[in-house]
Parts: sequence; structure tokens; C-alpha cells
Amino acid sequence: MRVLSADEATALAWCAGEDGLPGEVDVGLVDPVAAGDVVLVHAGVALTRLDAREAVLA
Amino acid sequence: MKYVDEFRDAELGRALAGEILTSVEPGRHYKIMEVCGGHTHSIYKFGIDDLLPANVELVHGPGCPVCVIPMGRVDDGIAVARQPGVILTCFGDMMRIPGSDGSFLDAKAAGADIRMVYSPLDALRIARQNPDREVVFYAIGFETTAPSTALTLKRAKIEGIRNFSVMCSHVTIVPPLRALLDSPDLRLDGFIGPGHVSTVVGARPFEFIPADYGKPVAVAGFEPLDVLQAIHMVLRQIEEGRCEVENQYTRVVPYEGNLRALEILSEVFELRPHFEWRGLGFISQSGLKLSEAYADLDAELRFDVPGVRVADPKACQCGEVLKGVIKPFECKVFGTACTPERPIGTCMVSSEGACAAYYNYGRFAREREVV
Repeated sequence: MRVLSADEATALAWCAGEDGLPGEVDVGLVDPVAAGDVVLVHAGVALTRLDAREAVLA
Repeated sequence: MKYVDEFRDAELGRALAGEILTSVEPGRHYKIMEVCGGHTHSIYKFGIDDLLPANVELVHGPGCPVCVIPMGRVDDGIAVARQPGVILTCFGDMMRIPGSDGSFLDAKAAGADIRMVYSPLDALRIARQNPDREVVFYAIGFETTAPSTALTLKRAKIEGIRNFSVMCSHVTIVPPLRALLDSPDLRLDGFIGPGHVSTVVGARPFEFIPADYGKPVAVAGFEPLDVLQAIHMVLRQIEEGRCEVENQYTRVVPYEGNLRALEILSEVFELRPHFEWRGLGFISQSGLKLSEAYADLDAELRFDVPGVRVADPKACQCGEVLKGVIKPFECKVFGTACTPERPIGTCMVSSEGACAAYYNYGRFAREREVV
């Protein structure tokens, strides 16, 4: 999902998936995220932040 | 879409299939297990097995979190949901899993307040909105899902939400793999490691497979090129006489996993001495329960839970399917008495179940001649 906005204090972010619908995601397990970052979300929790460079190399 | 389209390129897929063909030894039969149910679905959704040489067989593993929940645990959930004032929440996949006397959906139809949630955080929101009700989250899943339950429990504790608790059926991936490797029923040549579990635990926990059992592993993503590349990596290891854990899914999986997630898991959960898996029986140290520090949020301690062990229906062969001993269409009731609409076994219900993958993508019989 793509991060739309993030609140570092609560570790919550609004993110949009493929359908474009926004959902609230707990981002407490990944390094601070900012609008535009892409995160892998499972059951409402971001497990990892995708690295654009790695995605091209893989 | 970025991160998706690049991994569905047909041209690259054909090229990879060609490379796979050159990596196999004619006359030798290769059995590769994809551990995760998500991979099984990718394989049949994208027709990956049709691109493989006839002597490369994919065997489906036990990595479907819903499929492994035994009937007794479903009955326990229903017993809790029927208690006065309780709202039981669970993932959508759980709703149709058969217990000994119906599913969560049947219990809901009969009046129990059972609600589907996307995340345990939604269950916590329901608890905040209903302070006069007891909200229980029925937690299932491997290490991929356990962090979301752990984070929710932490939030509940910090906020002092007293009407929330968790009924924990989280499981861990390594013990069933070890049990499979120790089983004389199955001879495997390599593994496609579970990509999303590995975002949390990393690739390192799978090192025991090459070290103790001499089998190669490639941790893989879920797009068609990911799976094809992982199959190629496993076959190339065999061809070159190597045996190690390789990480195909580097764009998502750090080799060491998510250390913050692992830390919170060890704080909130502890291993149960034994846990019963549907079809696989009891596997020691394979299930999680809430740790002492979170015992006040443990639904199994807060409510009266029957905890009765219920045997699987005789006709059901989910155990053999989960162990990869038989293919779904070899089960006596596949597609006849057991369908997604009226399932007997869990593998036909779950979106990650091997039987559901075969049924939904039209694999009703052995179509490939296996050498």
C-alpha cells in the first residue's frame, strides 16, 4: 500500500491499496514512513517498507 | 502497478521456463514443496506448473493458517461467542471453517454476535465503541499475522481497555516443517520458502533445512516470476551440488527479518508445550499463547473454554493434503461431497487452501504426465 499521510506519535498512517481506498495502518514495526512510501501491509500492520532500488534489481 | 507488473512479464516468464528446462536432469524426478498457501494459489492462478518440465513436481505444504485450525478450536470459539455479552471477532477466512457442530457463520446465523474484521486493530476499535460488551479477537496465523495481534494487545494494555481479550491460535512455521522432514511419507528435493512469514522471521530460521536435512531452500515472493525464479534457484542448487538458503524476495525480506516485530512477539507471546494441528496432530512448541505479562487479556483464562479435542471427519483427507502426501484431487470427497460452498475440510474453505486453489482454477484431475 502507498502511504498517504503518517503520524509518527501514534505510529498510525493512512495508506491506499490497489483499489485506491484508504485504510488506517499501524506503522510501528517499520522505520518512520512518509507520504509516497510503499509498505507491505498484513492484517492492518506494515511489516516492511519496500525499497524501490531493490525492486528493480530483483 | 509498480512492484507487481514487473513480476508478471510473460516474456521474462518464458525465458525463465527455458532456463528451468536446462537445469533439470532428464529421467530424474524433482519434488519441490512450496510451504505457503499463497504460493499454491499463485501457481494455479497463473498456470506456473504448466510451464515446468514434466519431471518437476510441486508439492503443497502446510502454510495455510486457517487450514491447520483443528475442529476443537473452532468449537471453543463458538462456545465463547455464545456467552452473554460477548462479541467474537475474527478474520473472514475463519467464518466458514467447520467445527463439530457448524462454523462461526452457522453460530452467527443462530444468534451469536460474531463479526468479521480485517485487522485485530478493528476488533480493538469495536471494544472501545462497546464498553459494556466483552470483545474477543480469535487470533490465527503464522508469524506474518502474530505481530498485528501483539501490537493490538500492546495498545489495549497501554490504553487500559479492559473489555478486550484474545483467543490465541497463532502457530509457528519451523516445527511443522521439521515434522514433515522427519516424516517417512515424503521425499522432497527442496523448498520454496514462505515470503511473508519471512518478512517477520527472516530467511535465517530455514537454515536448518540445508544444514540438518541437506535440502535447498529459496524464499520467494508471490508474483509468477518470483515463483518461477525460486524454482529455478532450487533446481540450480541441486544441479551445482549446493545446498543453502537463498532469498529470491530481497525487495521485501531482510535476511534477519523484522527485529522490531520479533522483539514484540517475544514480549507478548510464549510457546505452548504442544499445539494440535488439523490433520497433523500435536506438534511440540509449535503454537503461541499470551505471555504472563499479558495473561489478563487472555480470553482462554477469562472465559470458560471447553477445550475438547474433536477428531476430523473420517472422509476428510486434509492431513494428507497439508503434508503434501496426496494431491487435492486424490482426496475421496474433493469436488463432490466437499466443495467451497459445502466444505468438509479446511483446505477447501480457506483462500490459501490447496483444495480451494485446485477447485477454483479447475484442477480436478491429474493433467500432467509426471515422469
